[in-house]
Amino acid sequence: MDIIVCVKQVPDTTTVIQIDPSGKEIVRDGITNIMSPYDEFAVEEALKLIEANGGTVTALTVGPESAKEALRSALAMGADEAIHVVTDGAPLALDSLATAKLIAKAIEGKSYDLVLMGRQAIDDDAMQMGSLVAELLNIGQITSAIKLEIEGTQVKAQRTIEGGLQNIEATLPLVVTAQKGLNTPRYPSMKGILKAKKKPVQDIPAGSLGVSLEPKVKIEALVEPPARPAGRIVGSVDELVAALTQEIKVV
Amino acid sequence: MAFDFSLSEEHKMVQDTIHQLARRLAPQQQALRQRIFKDQAYPEELWQAVAEAGLLGCLIPEQYGGNGLGLLPMTLGLEVLNSYGLGSVIHVITGMDAACILRHGSESQKQRFLPAIASGALKLCYAHTEPDAGSNLFNTQTHARREGDTYVINGQKVFITAADVCDYMLLVARTASPEQAKAAGKGKTYGLSLFLVDTRAKGITRQLLPMQGLEGCQQFALFFDHVEVPAENLLGPEHEGIAAIFDSLNPERVLAAGMALGMTQLMLKRSVDYAQTRKVFGDRPIGSYQAISHPLAEIQVELEATQLLTYRSAWAFDQGLSVGQVGHYANLAKLKGADLAIRSVDQTIETHGGYGFSEEYEIIHFWTAARVMKTAPVTRELILNFVAEHALHLPRS
Repeated sequence: MDIIVCVKQVPDTTTVIQIDPSGKEIVRDGITNIMSPYDEFAVEEALKLIEANGGTVTALTVGPESAKEALRSALAMGADEAIHVVTDGAPLALDSLATAKLIAKAIEGKSYDLVLMGRQAIDDDAMQMGSLVAELLNIGQITSAIKLEIEGTQVKAQRTIEGGLQNIEATLPLVVTAQKGLNTPRYPSMKGILKAKKKPVQDIPAGSLGVSLEPKVKIEALVEPPARPAGRIVGSVDELVAALTQEIKVV
Repeated sequence: MAFDFSLSEEHKMVQDTIHQLARRLAPQQQALRQRIFKDQAYPEELWQAVAEAGLLGCLIPEQYGGNGLGLLPMTLGLEVLNSYGLGSVIHVITGMDAACILRHGSESQKQRFLPAIASGALKLCYAHTEPDAGSNLFNTQTHARREGDTYVINGQKVFITAADVCDYMLLVARTASPEQAKAAGKGKTYGLSLFLVDTRAKGITRQLLPMQGLEGCQQFALFFDHVEVPAENLLGPEHEGIAAIFDSLNPERVLAAGMALGMTQLMLKRSVDYAQTRKVFGDRPIGSYQAISHPLAEIQVELEATQLLTYRSAWAFDQGLSVGQVGHYANLAKLKGADLAIRSVDQTIETHGGYGFSEEYEIIHFWTAARVMKTAPVTRELILNFVAEHALHLPRS
């Protein structure tokens, strides 16, 4: 079974984010980046599947040169090889569709049975990459999977839906997006990272894939969340009850 | 030209592995620190995660299941782990024992112990100090008498760290008395031997010592009453274990310095984060006051100087320099590291004012852990004696 896992490099959740003067981008200098945690679930699932069934795992990312770190992490976890669609020189703000086109084009013609990725990247939370890629590749999709079983080409999956779970079946090839709960990703290891250095990474300049990167969606402005208002000390229980029932109406 | 201070890609990779591990544990970090510093217990799942990351395999060659990267990478990794407050001296002690087994163990001892250390399955402690022997190792009274294929051990040890959770101990015992050494025409180092002893062996009694200052573990007094140890567990030559002992004490000092560096970084981060947001007078954060910023800046200067010293001592060990040369650097690093850790905790408390003593801020838990490094694994005074005698050639104290 050959699996392609898409990973995205995102700012570390503990990094303090600042909006750059354009108001449309965050300041990228000096921040720590990580692989988006949902993508870690996808990588782990891919590794488990090939450990059980044999095959190869190819990690793929779209992003600037620095995004190679996310590929290195995937390789260190155990992926066999990687493809980097390098966007340096391309317009910075690729929208989801442009990114999906690049992914689809890059894996077109490759042999694959399954494309795995996180259900969302934790930076822009757009949650549409799996669906867009499935559509462009003209194959089926299962989103937000928390269980995945594959026998031959038959796929059984469980996914989270509002207020419950849904069991579904599908046939390979397929795009599956990973939800929290699918697995516990393995820890990175020094041995794995040493091995990762020797694994092949193919660079593909985004401009060479012949797809239009013209964004359909443009970011107009990034706005910081409002500061939390100061607390208030109430004088009596009565005042507190009045505030809770009449003012903010939580009771 | 060989004057290169840059960290190699492998070194950075080691640091990055441990950063990634800590990030993965971000939601549990505070609870883990609570276990380590307040409950004096090291969570087993964290031990396994650290082993999985490869930190315990740094000193162990690939043929024995490790990654063979060396003491410098292990020191760098331990520094990062401790910069999150997720380290424990058990790493240091298991590391020093691994170094000793690797350099002085028999082939079968290496095969028995090293893969299990690298995988995290085996923890080791070190039983050296006695009520009347610690700084003065030659006073060791615990003795081992050979009887056929076994040694019979009698005596007692004290301040043995993590003797409850460790599977084996490296035990220093006398196999020849000073009188016998003299009669044989040997020096005072003769007669000490090292043994790998099962901590659950019959005849060993453990008594908990209520102690403060150790992260992730407790200390014990151990009593040995006719404890039988298979002769194959003798590590290194009988009567002449001193070289093996020093080959474990040097990495211990280097790794302890690494822990101190990590703790200093954690304290600096806490201080800086607080000083940047805390406002007391008007709208300026307290970090804009030189009374706050200069002491922190000085700690940064000391941190970078001590890093150089520590990395050099680890490098010296990896290069296979003599025990004396490595000992010189390792002692300096350990002294500076301990002083710096104490200073950094003190200054962090100072920066936080009253909150510095609050359990919620965790800082006060580091106070005893930092202070103990001045006394153990070797006292500041003994290091100064060593430097005065060996580097300055002053008369022996």
